[in-house]
Amino acid sequence: MKSLFRINIRTSLIAMLLIVMPALVAKAQDSRIQMGVLDHLAAKASQTVDVNVDERLMKLASKVFSDQDADEKEVKKMVAGLKGIYVKSFEFDVDGQYATADVESIRSQLRGPGWTRLVNVTSRKEGNLEVYLLFNGEQVGGLAVLHTDDRELTVVNIVGPVDLDKLAKLEGQFGVPEMGIEQEKPKTKNDEK
Amino acid sequence: MKAIAIKIFVAVLVVVFTSANLVHANDDDFKSVVKMIEQFYRVKQVGIPFLAKAGMKVATTAARIRGGEAKRIAEAGSIKLAVFQNQDFDGDFTKFRASLNEALNVTWMPLIQTLSARNEEQVYIFLKNAGDKFNVLVITIEQREATVVQVTLSPKNLALLLKDPEGTGKAITQEATINDQE
Repeated sequence: MKSLFRINIRTSLIAMLLIVMPALVAKAQDSRIQMGVLDHLAAKASQTVDVNVDERLMKLASKVFSDQDADEKEVKKMVAGLKGIYVKSFEFDVDGQYATADVESIRSQLRGPGWTRLVNVTSRKEGNLEVYLLFNGEQVGGLAVLHTDDRELTVVNIVGPVDLDKLAKLEGQFGVPEMGIEQEKPKTKNDEK
Repeated sequence: MKAIAIKIFVAVLVVVFTSANLVHANDDDFKSVVKMIEQFYRVKQVGIPFLAKAGMKVATTAARIRGGEAKRIAEAGSIKLAVFQNQDFDGDFTKFRASLNEALNVTWMPLIQTLSARNEEQVYIFLKNAGDKFNVLVITIEQREATVVQVTLSPKNLALLLKDPEGTGKAITQEATINDQE
């Protein structure tokens, strides 16, 4: 009777782990940023852009782009594996329309486990650019870009395996704004001389 | 006896839920959006007698966007169009946007939404599957006019929209509503 009780407990524990583990793994891999906190800025903004290319649309995109056309093949390759592209961008006619707390609501999510800020990235556009990558182990699981200016706040979130080259190619497509992102090349010994 | 009662109860529940879903699936979202605009902004749509002509105009848009041969973007006979002209669209657009999203988000996928307080313009583009094709709903509201356009796209033309949602969406609306005299 006692052993039967132990088996029951063990079975329950295994069952619980089976239920909880996938949820924990999914949580660790989730690079989707919650941007809804910024929605209130639309009332003050002179221009608001909200792009939601979710997993369903990404799957559609990978199906509808042709392998025959060279351009479409390139785009298809670019979006392969991506699970979503989300953009929120606000432009204001006067300075100071968004608060530090608004930016902090995004940054605080990017301080979570797995997120790393890239320091060698700049923008040809004016303002402050922050680029973050989410690492799941050694693999990149997502990317976030935060661009702030006195009169602009833009957040781009790409879910899935993505790198800066891919991001640069996505600029101007799928609703991703032109951010003029450039990655500084690491200095070689010859450069230092 | 109790088992039979439970079975009947379950059967009734299944029938109720199934019919509720069917009603929802059959809802004409295009008409709902038109009605929503009419009620929110207290405006009235203008009758469009030449829908087929609008379809031809949309086809030329696709050709222009692709920069090449003439090719229809909207599937033949798929265009639904509602136009509002010379009326005031005064109202809190953030509230309108919230209502619109609430009404459509169950069956439609929001692709891009652009609100411009500067130009007093709102553009919403929604997508949904229609068998092996796709329905696209483009809602444009400006200071004195608005349009609601629904078209069916082939997968190939959907690619065009996904690549440049804002540009293609606006072009569809402009061409669908273009006046033959212009």
